Amino acid sequence: MYEFPEALSVPLSDWVDAVMSWLLTNWGTLFDAVGKALLQMLLYVERFFLLLPWPLVVAGVGLAAWRTLGKWWSGAVMAGLLMVIGSFGYWKLAMMTLAIVTSAVVISLAIGIPMGIVMARSDFVESTIRPVLDAMQTMPSFVYLIPALMFFGLGKVPAVFATIIYAMPPVIRLTNVGIRQVPSSVVEAAEAFGSSSWQLLFNVQLPLARPSIMVGINQTTMMALSMVVIASMIGARGLGLEVLLAINRIEVGRGFEAGLSIVFLAIIIDRITHALAARQQKTLGGGS
Amino acid sequence: MEESRLEVSEEAETPRDVMDYSVEVRGLWKVFGPRSNEVMDGDLRRASKDEILEKAGCVLALRDISFQVERGEFFVLMGLSGSGKSTLIRCLLRLIEPTVGKVFINGEDICSYNKARLMHLRRHTVSMVFQHFGLLPHCTVIDNVAYGLKIRGMPKKERYERAQEAIETVGLKGWEHYLPNSLSGGMQQRVGLARALATDPQILLMDEPFSGLDPLIRRQMQDELVELQDRLRKTVIFVTHDLYEALKLGCRIAIMRDGEIIQLGTPEEIITDPADDYVREFVQDASPAKVLTAGKIMEEPELLLYEWQGPKAAHHMLRSSKQDHAFVVSKSRQLVGIVTRERIRETIERGASSLRDAMDEEPPTCTPDMLVEELFPIASSTPYPIAVLDENGRFLGVIHNRTILDSMIQDREEKTDV
Repeated sequence: MYEFPEALSVPLSDWVDAVMSWLLTNWGTLFDAVGKALLQMLLYVERFFLLLPWPLVVAGVGLAAWRTLGKWWSGAVMAGLLMVIGSFGYWKLAMMTLAIVTSAVVISLAIGIPMGIVMARSDFVESTIRPVLDAMQTMPSFVYLIPALMFFGLGKVPAVFATIIYAMPPVIRLTNVGIRQVPSSVVEAAEAFGSSSWQLLFNVQLPLARPSIMVGINQTTMMALSMVVIASMIGARGLGLEVLLAINRIEVGRGFEAGLSIVFLAIIIDRITHALAARQQKTLGGGS
Repeated sequence: MEESRLEVSEEAETPRDVMDYSVEVRGLWKVFGPRSNEVMDGDLRRASKDEILEKAGCVLALRDISFQVERGEFFVLMGLSGSGKSTLIRCLLRLIEPTVGKVFINGEDICSYNKARLMHLRRHTVSMVFQHFGLLPHCTVIDNVAYGLKIRGMPKKERYERAQEAIETVGLKGWEHYLPNSLSGGMQQRVGLARALATDPQILLMDEPFSGLDPLIRRQMQDELVELQDRLRKTVIFVTHDLYEALKLGCRIAIMRDGEIIQLGTPEEIITDPADDYVREFVQDASPAKVLTAGKIMEEPELLLYEWQGPKAAHHMLRSSKQDHAFVVSKSRQLVGIVTRERIRETIERGASSLRDAMDEEPPTCTPDMLVEELFPIASSTPYPIAVLDENGRFLGVIHNRTILDSMIQDREEKTDV
């Protein structure tokens, strides 16, 4: 009786499809070129990670954790977790996963931090970007995995693309918030002494927003890591693929090992980047 | 006829304005709100602050401000919060853009400056000290002080040398490599002052620089600022809500209320001839002698003697506590009299054995609810301190001459600290 009138229906799906096919026919070569360049970069990063000798990585992680967390046994625990991943036989896969996550995070930061800065400097930009960020975080990732596939084909490139979309919002938001939270009295004083816009940004706003940006980097990294299983569905190799295969074959034990490896990677990365962020906060002396 | 003569005289004055004044403000208005231009164009120009808020939704912050500041003058803008004084001082550097009006600095209209010239003005000619310091929390003291020089593009070595000089000028030597947050409020403001001095500006704007400091530190900073000004001869424009501070520092004072200057004159002119009730109230308020009571300023005596004590013991106690006199009370703390060291010695030499022989039995007294103003005649007619007694004659405390004077100064500062 109260059915929604058909006359009011909006054929958005048709429009999106039309745009997609237009893009593919007219800009296909561009996407190909971008995809190729991205793939080259990913391959280099992956090769680099695979070349690293495992004792060096374990020692490096242990040392980094020790220095940032301040306790020798945290270093030992982190190194131990890496050893466990290796003992599962997943060293190579873990390095592949790390390569994808690292690439995605670096690209996310390279786009996200400048975007956060622009957002902080204009209320208009903030109010327009905000819903886009909401969409990026809440839109089910399969929805943009498919177009990514259509643009870039199967493999690492669409996986990284999807990861970037999912992982970028936190660093944008936290850069924005961090800059906006810089006390106006400090900004005013810097302006009163004749700072240019860039001087204000690099001498005042970014240094004071740094703790917040560091938290953003931490969050972005964690989000990227949580995408590895989904990314494996479109052909990214690594731990995610191992989980996917185990699920398909109902091999619980194998799935558990691979899943646990992802968790360990997450713990290691989170603790170290989190400690870095916390240390930044401390040197600024409790905010005042 | 008259009109033309007026015009001529105005023209004749223009060159003087341009050459002689360090800062000149002409017909400056500031209206906050999206419809500020309507306020300036329409009949609302003459409306009251509340009326403008109601009819146009705009806040009138400054109305038709004009004044001149001579080179090397210490000019004070004084008013309560909301009087527009902080807005005004920010307009002088265009940290807030004036709605209408002109600001001349060294004869140049800075409102017509483009971004680059404004930046040059801020970097070289004028600098500012803020109430909340506005220091960079992640930079050390010396980097904060050198900030103005750094953004000019001065090389590190040179700017550190100049910053070091400024740090020594404000007495912060040895603190160069501390972070601002580890310093006390007074020291942080010294950093703020050093930062402003490091660029060697002609004009120093100070927005309530000492308001956040506690009274003793504030007084010390004021004294040092006076001394510094004697030496450096900058043009200073100083904002405060504290009349005492204004009177102490200012060559001339402009008193502001509701965005207007209601009186401008030397401290003497303002005290002796307040322009209206508002200023009069300010000036009256400034005298704590009219508000403070004896009970509030009295102190515990350093030494209290009892009537049964012998003169020798009393003499010994006076000497060991380094007092010249002490009040004598009975067992129930009733005041009996006052003794002096000299008279006790004479008594002892005469061989008398009772303290009563050395006592002045009518020492100066007052009650705790008496105003400090009423203590002046008592204090000036006696060599002794004043004893404070309750209605039953019980001894409560003592007021020295020095306490009366101290209280007047300190109270002024505490009251304006809020």
